[in-house]
Amino acid sequence: MIALLDIQNYRLDIGTFDGPVHVLKGINLTVNRGDTLGIVGESGSGKTVLVRSVLGIGPRNSRVVEGSISFDGQDITALPEKDWTKIRGIRISMIFQDPMTYLNPLFSIGRQISDVIAAHEKAAGQGVSSKAARRARTEELLDQVGLPNLSMLFSQYPHQLSGGMRQRILIAMALAGKPDLLIADEPTTALDVTVQAQVLDLINSLVEKLNLTVIMISHDIGAIATVAKRCAVMYKGEIVEQGLTRDILNRPQHEYTQRLLAAVPDIDVAPEKAAARAAETPSAKPGHLLEAIDLKKVYRSQSGSEVTAVKSISLAVKTGEIFGVVGESGSGKSTLARMLLRLIKPTSGDIIFDGQNISGLSGEPLRQMRRHMQFVFQNPHSALNGRHTIGDAIGEPLRIQTNMSRRDIEARTEALLDIVQLPKTFKYRYPHELSGGQKQRVCIARAIALNPRLLILDEPTSALDISVQAQVLDFLQELRAELNLTYVFISHNLAVIRQICDRTIVMKRGEIVEQGETEQIFLAPREDYTKALIESGRKTSQAANL
Amino acid sequence: MTAEPMNSQIDTQIAASADTQRPLTFRERHASQIRQWRLYAHMFRKSFSSMLGLTLVVLFLLLAAFGPLLVPYPEAASGAINMSAKLQPPSSTYWFGTDEMGADIFSRVIMGARTSLWIGVVITCLAALIGVPLGILAGYRGGWVRAVIMRVTELFLAVPGLALALAIVAALGPGITNCVLALAIVWWPGYVRLVEAKTLSVKEELFIESARSIGARTPWILWHHILPNCLSPIIVKMSMDMGMAILSAASLGFIGLGAQPPSPEWGAMISVARTYMPDWWWYSLFPGAAIFLTVLGFNLLGDGLRDILDPRSRDR
Amino acid sequence: MLTFAFRKVLTLIGTMIGIAALTFLITNVAPGDPARLVAGPNATEDMVATIRTEYGLDKSLPEQFFVYMGDLARADLGTSIVTTRPVLEEVMRYAPATLELVFVAMFLGIIVGVPLGMLSAVYKDGPLDQITRIFSISGVALPAFWFGIILQLTFSVDLEWLPVSGRLPLVTRPPDTVTGLLLVDSLISGRFSTFWVSLQHIILPAIVLSFPCLASILRVNRAEMIEVLQSDYIVAARAHGISSFRIVACYALKNAMLPTLAMIGLRFGWMLGSTVLVETVFDWPGIGLYAVSSALSSDFKPVVGVTLMIGFFFIVANTLVDLAYAWIDPRLRKA
Repeated sequence: MIALLDIQNYRLDIGTFDGPVHVLKGINLTVNRGDTLGIVGESGSGKTVLVRSVLGIGPRNSRVVEGSISFDGQDITALPEKDWTKIRGIRISMIFQDPMTYLNPLFSIGRQISDVIAAHEKAAGQGVSSKAARRARTEELLDQVGLPNLSMLFSQYPHQLSGGMRQRILIAMALAGKPDLLIADEPTTALDVTVQAQVLDLINSLVEKLNLTVIMISHDIGAIATVAKRCAVMYKGEIVEQGLTRDILNRPQHEYTQRLLAAVPDIDVAPEKAAARAAETPSAKPGHLLEAIDLKKVYRSQSGSEVTAVKSISLAVKTGEIFGVVGESGSGKSTLARMLLRLIKPTSGDIIFDGQNISGLSGEPLRQMRRHMQFVFQNPHSALNGRHTIGDAIGEPLRIQTNMSRRDIEARTEALLDIVQLPKTFKYRYPHELSGGQKQRVCIARAIALNPRLLILDEPTSALDISVQAQVLDFLQELRAELNLTYVFISHNLAVIRQICDRTIVMKRGEIVEQGETEQIFLAPREDYTKALIESGRKTSQAANL
Repeated sequence: MTAEPMNSQIDTQIAASADTQRPLTFRERHASQIRQWRLYAHMFRKSFSSMLGLTLVVLFLLLAAFGPLLVPYPEAASGAINMSAKLQPPSSTYWFGTDEMGADIFSRVIMGARTSLWIGVVITCLAALIGVPLGILAGYRGGWVRAVIMRVTELFLAVPGLALALAIVAALGPGITNCVLALAIVWWPGYVRLVEAKTLSVKEELFIESARSIGARTPWILWHHILPNCLSPIIVKMSMDMGMAILSAASLGFIGLGAQPPSPEWGAMISVARTYMPDWWWYSLFPGAAIFLTVLGFNLLGDGLRDILDPRSRDR
Repeated sequence: MLTFAFRKVLTLIGTMIGIAALTFLITNVAPGDPARLVAGPNATEDMVATIRTEYGLDKSLPEQFFVYMGDLARADLGTSIVTTRPVLEEVMRYAPATLELVFVAMFLGIIVGVPLGMLSAVYKDGPLDQITRIFSISGVALPAFWFGIILQLTFSVDLEWLPVSGRLPLVTRPPDTVTGLLLVDSLISGRFSTFWVSLQHIILPAIVLSFPCLASILRVNRAEMIEVLQSDYIVAARAHGISSFRIVACYALKNAMLPTLAMIGLRFGWMLGSTVLVETVFDWPGIGLYAVSSALSSDFKPVVGVTLMIGFFFIVANTLVDLAYAWIDPRLRKA
């Protein structure tokens, strides 16, 4: 039997100003019918370029140096565009990462899917079927991916649907041609934890029902483990290891895979650190550094309707602890964080920082207060002004808040770079020249420049690769001990929360669902929502279970 | 997909110097900028039309600077009369022929460059000086400040510029100063709209919030964060507008409301030349070609600048 | 959708009032004595004073403003000094000629600009793209008045293919006025020879007027098309096997049409402004020529009248563009 997909010694370069970049370096990969193959890799590993090349939609300016890709015995390395129409969407189809940007906003769902059906019929050489027939087929597909209200959905537009529904629609589109090979490119990355679990379940049930051959790529090992029986690990354009998923997860051979697996935080392991830390910080300074009392935020839209982002939340953060806030998107956790720092004004309620009510402050007193509390943002790339050097970025708080001389600021900047373990010469560089983890370190250096007492970290690692995430988390913990900081740590990732937070609140739709000691919440969740959250989290991070 | 844009050359340079602990040289400290400028130059040079634009603009600037020293008949610009040589076709003595007063058209066209440069610079700079601060203010402050500024801007934009300028010049009386003033009055709203839109999007960036969270005051944020990020589109627009302002002033000159003959302004020259059509064709041909090439130069330059400055049009 | 349209109409009226106020401000706050400007350089003090009273210029500015706005509300744009006839009547008489010219030019701009933009986006960096790039930037840079003269020299004087200027030959009796647009009226009354003649007359001015517009429609359409073609949903459509032709002609074009529409609206106003030049060159009896000749004889009321009229047409065009936007983009329909 011929392999369905056979990639032989495939090398691909992308031309840039600085010369060619070797994106893929000698890839060998075989996929047989009925396989479910996962490709794991971090950003820049070349996994997306690889699967797009299989579909002939690789990046521009790219050049195949050597090797070949053959599909069902046919060499498709340099297939002319005309022949691709018989393959794309019909024999090989693809599910994409972010369901919002991959659906055309100007066309209705029904129109987009039935167009795909019509295209397939045309390519197959049979006449295009009637509108009604295509509509029936479209609704059948939508039904297959578990969507309700088919006739209404048919005439709806992408912006009217939720992320999970859009992802299901993309899956329906991909299934329209009854493909031999389905490629899923990070199908869950842009979704909430609970929705991720549902989409993975859907893919699994479809694989079983339709006997699909699947290649799924993801940076999320948990997601891969849920779907794929076989798995390949990619690193810097090479496949460093491949085999049965179970074997790789249990006995990783390659040094990179070992590192990667070690970095994945495990939702089911209680960190030893927590206990140790509690012991080493005796209640020298008891009391609360930050309190919020009955905090509320209402947004008024232009049409006059009101949206309550946060409804009456009260919390108290003890001096020296790491206080976790967990919730899915739309739970109001970012709004809460920005209110605590007074970046936005609460509609009602009080914020007490170190005994002082700061909810009504404005102007100069508020500016002074900002020295003591700092924010670390989710996306380090957009949190740094691309036109400033790293040195400017770190020195900025000093220039704004102190009268230090230029030379002192220079020296302090270098010291801060040292603290966050970056070379001093980085101060002449620009953000776009740094990697994600380095940029987040710069953001942290900026935040601690004024020796604040409180850091609010808004998903500080969610934009980073897993191995980098682990480093940043470790570093944050060291820093806290070194500088006597108090953290409010916001995340959607339960495993991360469990790893580092002392106490945690669980938020849903602007309210606190459950709160308490982190360990207690994970071991004995009281609320159904918390249980569901932990269960879905477990599903997508069950790496170590296998 | 973001491939790591690290330049290995810079890395090794910096790494080497970090080892030895000696102070960095200028080249090493500014390696990032140097690479950026080299990339810009490389992209600009690759484009034929950008280089053509640059050439035309440089030529125009040289003529504006040294024109009076180069032309064969400098007195032609001031309305000297030489009836014995009137309306002569192009020849080796009079390259572009002569006009109805016997003045050398070649000299007049060259001398016109300085007038045009002056018109373009004044209109563009006035418009930018009024428009950019208003745009930043409107975009950043929001609320009623924005409402007032944008309403007024929209009113100005709701009447086509040339028609409004015509009305203003008609009220002020014809003449080159009034014409420049009128055009500046109709020109600034374009900058407000451009900068406001850009500010609105830059304002949403995290680094603005980040600056606020470290306690930066509004003027600091506007100057250090918003303005630098609005600069590329402003530069591109100013380059394009240099050309368009020259064109509009020439149009008013052509109608007879701008520069008045005998001042050597290209539009006014064509306005007179039109009455000598079609037999004395060269009279209108050459001043028109001068306008065309100048405006073309600035537009091509602006277009080339947009290509290298706009990150959207950059895929390398 | 209906309330959306209703709101647009309200905005339209508000903007009109604003423009009226703006023209008043600009023309009255300007330094210089309008009465003296009207009276001419050789007028005596007495004559100036008479004109001042006659035009109500001796009243205070706010008073003048209210008189002016009151007149406008009664559709009174004042009287022309030169022809001593109501400005509104004259503007209405000249407007159809201008609109006819602008419509034909816009039609040319769209049917040539959009497909060329599309093609140069698809064959980006190819020879066609290089040609259209030079062509489109030259189009914006061409001085309309000079281009008109060159075309007249070439096609009318040298080749004698087309008439030099005007709307119809003097000897031709214009068709019965229905819409005021000669091309339409001659078809309605079945006079095809008149249609042919007026088409010959309109072709050169329309080309001159449409050239910059065509160029910018082309550029916007190309730029948008390139961006849309790189967007995720187009990648997805390709991956799902939809043919390249269909992706370009149906999917991407609709997405790219949004900014192109905005440009069309913008350019419509620009064209109205440029009629001032083109009508002067081609002696086209429209409001542009009327405004220029009035401005040159310091007859001020007609200039303001034409400015208001042009502003009105422009706002109407922009309102239509907004409605078209909402029709194309489902995301806007709710707002």
